[in-house]
Amino acid sequence: MTDPRHAPADGPPPIAPGTPPILQLQGICKYFPGVIANQDVSLDVAPGEIHALLGENGAGKSTLMNVVTGIYQPDGGEIILDGYGQSFAAPQDAIRAGIGMVHQHFKLVPAFTVAENIHLGWRETPFRASAKTLESRTRALSERFGFSVRPDAVVADLSAGEQQRVEILRVLARQARLLILDEPTAVLTPAETRDLFRALRAFRARGNAVILISHKLDEVIDISDRISILRAGRHVGTWRTADCTAAGLATIMVGREIVRRDLRARAPGAAAIARDPGAAAPVLSLRGASCRDARGIETLRDVTLDVHGGEILGIAGVAGNGQRELTQVLTGMMPLSAGTVLLDGAPVPLADPAAFARAGIGHIPEDRLRSGLAPSLDITDNMALREYARPPIGRHGLYDRAAAARLAGTIVAAAEVRVPDLATPIRNLSGGNQQRLVARREIRIASRVLVAAYPSRGLDIGAIATVLRYLTDLRDQGVAVVLVSEDLEELLNVADRIGVLFHGRLMATIDAATADMETIGLLMGGRSAPNGPTSGGGHA
Amino acid sequence: MAGTLHRLPTVTPARRLAWRAGAIAAALAITTLFLALSGRDPRLLADLVVRSAVGSRFGLEDLALFLTPLLLTGAAVTVTGRIGVWNIGAEGQFYAGAIGATAVGLFLPGPAWLVLPLMAACGIACGMGWILLPALARAYAGVNEIITTLLLNFVAGLLTTYLAVGPWHDRVTGALASTGRLPVRIPEIWGVVHWGFPIALAIVLALAWLTTRTRWGYQITIGGANDQAARYAGIPVRARILGAMLLSGGLAALAGMFEVAGTVHRLQGGLANNFGYFGIVVAVLARGSCLNVLPAALLMAFILDAGIVLQTQQLTASAVLAITGLVLFMIAIADELAHYRPVTVRRATTGAEARP
Ligand SMILES: Nc1ncnc2c1ncn2[C@@H]1O[C@H](COP(=O)(O)OP(=O)(O)OP(=O)(O)O)[C@@H](O)[C@H]1O
Ligand SMILES: [Mg+2]
Repeated sequence: MTDPRHAPADGPPPIAPGTPPILQLQGICKYFPGVIANQDVSLDVAPGEIHALLGENGAGKSTLMNVVTGIYQPDGGEIILDGYGQSFAAPQDAIRAGIGMVHQHFKLVPAFTVAENIHLGWRETPFRASAKTLESRTRALSERFGFSVRPDAVVADLSAGEQQRVEILRVLARQARLLILDEPTAVLTPAETRDLFRALRAFRARGNAVILISHKLDEVIDISDRISILRAGRHVGTWRTADCTAAGLATIMVGREIVRRDLRARAPGAAAIARDPGAAAPVLSLRGASCRDARGIETLRDVTLDVHGGEILGIAGVAGNGQRELTQVLTGMMPLSAGTVLLDGAPVPLADPAAFARAGIGHIPEDRLRSGLAPSLDITDNMALREYARPPIGRHGLYDRAAAARLAGTIVAAAEVRVPDLATPIRNLSGGNQQRLVARREIRIASRVLVAAYPSRGLDIGAIATVLRYLTDLRDQGVAVVLVSEDLEELLNVADRIGVLFHGRLMATIDAATADMETIGLLMGGRSAPNGPTSGGGHA
Repeated sequence: MAGTLHRLPTVTPARRLAWRAGAIAAALAITTLFLALSGRDPRLLADLVVRSAVGSRFGLEDLALFLTPLLLTGAAVTVTGRIGVWNIGAEGQFYAGAIGATAVGLFLPGPAWLVLPLMAACGIACGMGWILLPALARAYAGVNEIITTLLLNFVAGLLTTYLAVGPWHDRVTGALASTGRLPVRIPEIWGVVHWGFPIALAIVLALAWLTTRTRWGYQITIGGANDQAARYAGIPVRARILGAMLLSGGLAALAGMFEVAGTVHRLQGGLANNFGYFGIVVAVLARGSCLNVLPAALLMAFILDAGIVLQTQQLTASAVLAITGLVLFMIAIADELAHYRPVTVRRATTGAEARP
């Protein structure tokens, strides 16, 4: 870890031999009813290293970190901090000992400002502080740690990347020496990820340590010093990153090799794209569609597009350029301020999500926990969300719990998720397993169209391959698929056409067979002609 | 080595029940202590309470009479609670129901089999009317229902008093603050216990079924758990909030109708006896489940019944209220403490000290 090749500014600092690890785990076990979340996990994290923690969905990564930060008590094993045995009764104890964690699902208070969130539940918050004081303190912190935030902004109005900076700043302000990040880049744009990594390297250079959980292997190889892998709750091993390749890691994680196939190619006998002249009208179309947010700002501007049966339409763009609005318009969740939605060529009079679902339009929403699931309810109730009004669950105005449980069992089996019992609240499932269940639930009702927003977010690479196969299977059955993604490689790999959104406008729709990353990248930045002058605008 | 507490994210029902039993025992112990300190014999009082509240036929009849309105108001608050709305106005809707029922009873002569259902219908309609404005404001404008429903309680209470001493005042007996005796009454089934009691029981059971086994109940549950997910599933959340609140108003109003037509037989100020507010307590104890309303209302009824007995022993009404408060306070503490489990912590040094 004293590799001289690293630049001294952000490389790991030289560590004197014999320095104890910041954190050492010895034989940690954690069990839930019917689930072995962690079994005999031993690993150590040295000062001045970024330690990546990998594993499939449900491998026990989040649970292990929750044990380290005192949210859960271990059922066995020891946590050793700076050479001394420690046991944290509550997260506050861990924070006091210098361990800070940013969770997979953010835990900020949406209605509070950034400054208020930073100071919430903090010993050093002045007893009587005006909003002004808090904001200036926040500004000072943000300069000290190199995380730019807007102290007076309300958290609910922030992008995912901004919210995450607030979370990290909150932790750093409490003098964390060990920063734990649970899938921090899942919701970040590439630019935000670069900023985050720059800040993490600076943090490491000061002799601190980072544990990073991620499913994005390229990123992990880019930033980490060592990599540990969990499989089914057990520690498989720890390697120096320099010795690892993405393919090798994937094989160890999943236990088999993952090959990226060209998913655009059709299997023999698959439905053809229903786009030829003379074919039926497109399944779903937008004509001049615009919509406005609560403040009256146009978030979708004059979008016209057609989705045909048997094709995958990819939607690219930097997050926050109208993707959410587009998916909501296509699934009946948001009314248009101008333009029309056409279903099978006929205008749809009313934005009614239930009617869209009945018409065979499935929707994997961007933020599954907030809008696709009711976290406190059990798996059964959550899996019935789309079919509760249809037989066999909903007959004569009743809700047949037994039938709902059978449906949930079917979905759980199809999604290949192991659950101890269907009465488990869905928030107890791992993030990736929640995502798989939502995907399977929506595929069931998507007999005509599936609108999938970031369906691979939070999934391990094996599961991503599976979900993409779900999509291509649907396509081969003649279903139209709209795939919103920030991963251009993924889009180029599965989509037939790619539309690019910029500032709510559909810049262009291009054929994926001839498209290249560069063209799409330019369009994403608002430039319409790939070879034209840089000032060529797509602005309104 | 040091002992410390660890917070459990979820608590099993058995654990919670055990803690609550402990809380009730603790509250009784504290009460006993205070009674002893104030020079009374707690054993004698306890014996008296048990004998007259549950050990005698009259006590049991009283218990049933307390239970009847508590079941309905408790269910009323629970039903809205399931969709995340707090109906603090059960007291007011109770009065509205009593007023509506009295109006029919006093001014619409007829056979009981006809007048009683009309009284119930009119009472329920009045209760729904009483909650209509807060319900519309909440469902369509997002106005917080806690304030609006609460404020209407005072209006309803004063309106009742006004009617009882004013326009509907009983001129025959010259009683000070009540209307005349209603010409019809809900028939009794057991001593002074009237048919309202079994009906209230049946209604609570029906609600338990409605909230868990019907499409409407499912939509309410989803709406209460995550309204964004409910919108995503196309559930008409506003209509469901409106519906649940109207149902709630109707239930509390029916309690008022039962009270006036079955127990008191006349409209008078203070008729609601805080049953609406105690309904909130019952709902809190029931934690969102209509089936749990049964034991929760029973506990509340027992406390009220015991209070009456104690009042006959020269304990003031406020002392009785204080005991009620103590029991509920202890239960609230127990619900929180049930989340904690002692763990042994080895702490060679704290992290703060170890930091360089
Ligand atoms: N509170 C809980 N109660 C019951 N089971 C739980 C609880 N928390 C986690 N589990 C289970 O423990 C296992 C490990 O979950 P964990 O969240 O640690 O996985 P993960 O490695 O973080 O996965 P992902 O990559 O999907 O986030 C899962 O099977 C999960 O269902
Ligand atoms: Mg996780």
